[in-house]
Amino acid sequence: MAAEERKKEEKGRFIAERRYVDDQRIVEPEKLEAGGVDMSGRWGTLVLPRTIEEFDHSLFEGVKRLPRGGKVGKCWQCGNCTAVCPVAHANPMFNPRYLIHIVRMGYQAEIEKVKDYVYLCSGCGLCSAACPKDVDPQGVMIALSIAFKSGRAKGGR
Amino acid sequence: MTGTVLVVGGGPAGLRAAVDLADFGARVLLVEKRDQLGGAPVRWKYRSLAPDFTPTEEVMGPLIGFCESSPMVEVHKGSVVEGCEGSVGDFTVKVRNEADGTTTEHRVSSVIVATGFEHFDASVDPRYAYGRAPNVIGINELEAMLKEGRVVGHDGRPPKRVAFIFCVGSRDRSTNPWCCTVCCGVSIKQAIEMKQTLGDVQVYMIYMDIRTVGLWEKLYWDSMEKYGINYIRGRVGEVYYTGEKLLVKGEDTLVRGPFEVLFDMVVLAVGIEPGPGTKQAAGVLGLKLNEYGFIAPRQPNVHVDSGRDGIFLAGTCIAPMSIEETLSEGSAAAMQAAKVLKKTVAV
Ligand SMILES: Cc1cc2nc3c(=O)[nH]c(=O)nc-3n(C[C@H](O)[C@H](O)[C@H](O)COP(=O)(O)OP(=O)(O)OC[C@H]3O[C@@H](n4cnc5c(N)ncnc54)[C@H](O)[C@@H]3O)c2cc1C
Ligand code: SF4
Ligand code: SF4
Repeated sequence: MAAEERKKEEKGRFIAERRYVDDQRIVEPEKLEAGGVDMSGRWGTLVLPRTIEEFDHSLFEGVKRLPRGGKVGKCWQCGNCTAVCPVAHANPMFNPRYLIHIVRMGYQAEIEKVKDYVYLCSGCGLCSAACPKDVDPQGVMIALSIAFKSGRAKGGR
Repeated sequence: MTGTVLVVGGGPAGLRAAVDLADFGARVLLVEKRDQLGGAPVRWKYRSLAPDFTPTEEVMGPLIGFCESSPMVEVHKGSVVEGCEGSVGDFTVKVRNEADGTTTEHRVSSVIVATGFEHFDASVDPRYAYGRAPNVIGINELEAMLKEGRVVGHDGRPPKRVAFIFCVGSRDRSTNPWCCTVCCGVSIKQAIEMKQTLGDVQVYMIYMDIRTVGLWEKLYWDSMEKYGINYIRGRVGEVYYTGEKLLVKGEDTLVRGPFEVLFDMVVLAVGIEPGPGTKQAAGVLGLKLNEYGFIAPRQPNVHVDSGRDGIFLAGTCIAPMSIEETLSEGSAAAMQAAKVLKKTVAV
């Protein structure tokens, strides 16, 4: 675990203005060869752009097929769910409205950043009572946690 | 004294006023600048009307048919009003046929101005590449494609991914600051029709706010819930033609995310603005324009009242509005003209 932690800390340490860049956007291949020359190490560090270059709805379509995810397509991003969610008030990384949108649009780097927070959902159901579009966000959180676990989060970038 | 009412403009508002007055027993002189009655819905070949997908002919056909055939309505197409003298109850107007230059003189009891609007010309705003890149079209042009049942790009192929950009030439200091009120609903109606026509197409609505007012809201709900149309909140900064596809640059403001995504077709929700016809009619009739170039009623809450006795207003020459509102305004203006007739023509 300690080694893992260290690796995380050292990630992208050669990048000037490192604090501008999210962890998820730094790619450091263990071994990199170009034209027969070994480029491993700092020369191989890649910073992926923040710009969204693709909309990919494959994960979203998968969520729609899960038992409690079926109504997710009705969401219009009003934020009523987040407004009443006790967990969202305690931890800004958990936001049911936001989770639904990034999954809908397939923003992979964002998904990687926040997907593990989906398990913070307490299952209290306040959101589903408040949602004006009958999306059942509480159920959607369950569906999302299943989708993320089964590796379906690995759509396109 | 004369029992005739002059109606300037043969769009939905003017036609409705003419039909009501003729039904009421008045003679109508209907002057239309173009060679065709029907206004924007006929000129741009609208496939159907929001909010209920009513075929355009169902709404416009009876009005046009009536005016073309009724002995009570004298239609002057390709014509404009050139002069207007006199006062309420007895105006003398000159009507000039623009094709042959001939002028006729008529005596009328009152005047209804229904000169309508023009679509915003998107080539004025270079951001959207309209007129420079292929497959960037306006909602006005898409209507005709939908009507034909053939939605294709310049290469003849149906698009797989389409972006609608809302508020083009609306709500923007550099062009027109007002809201065109109908283009959200019209764009959504078209997105649904595009899905119905093409089936296999991804549609993205890039919007700042969705203003589907009143009962038009159903369009918005259905587009999401029944047709899986995607919504991205933001405003587009640039459309760039790569030689093959259209790169659309904007921000998804729900995630703080700038995007640059490729599309096959971009549809611009071009707004409503006052056209040269409205300016011409206002000039001849001595009516005031507001800061935007629409005709200013005496009092903004009472559209029919032009501020000049015996001259009444109806429709989009006053402000942007839908056809359902335009038609009611035509009837309301006809009522004012009827009141003048009752007072001045011997009963
Ligand atoms: C792309 C698009 C789609 C739309 N679709 C819908 C829809 O689905 N449902 C809906 O409710 N609304 C829709 N609208 C709005 C609708 O088009 C207008 O509400 C309606 O056309 C306004 O009618 P009008 O009679 O005021 O003006 P117009 O339709 O513009 O008619 C005015 C007429 O007056 C003539 N004219 C102008 N100047 C003169 C002059 N000086 N002398 C003589 N004649 C003159 C013009 O040639 C024209 O024929 C749409 C608008 C747009 C931009
Ligand atoms: S069910 Fe989960 S997402 Fe909904 S309000 Fe409760 S904790 Fe928040
Ligand atoms: S309350 Fe419902 S519609 Fe609103 S953001 Fe949450 S899930 Fe979507």
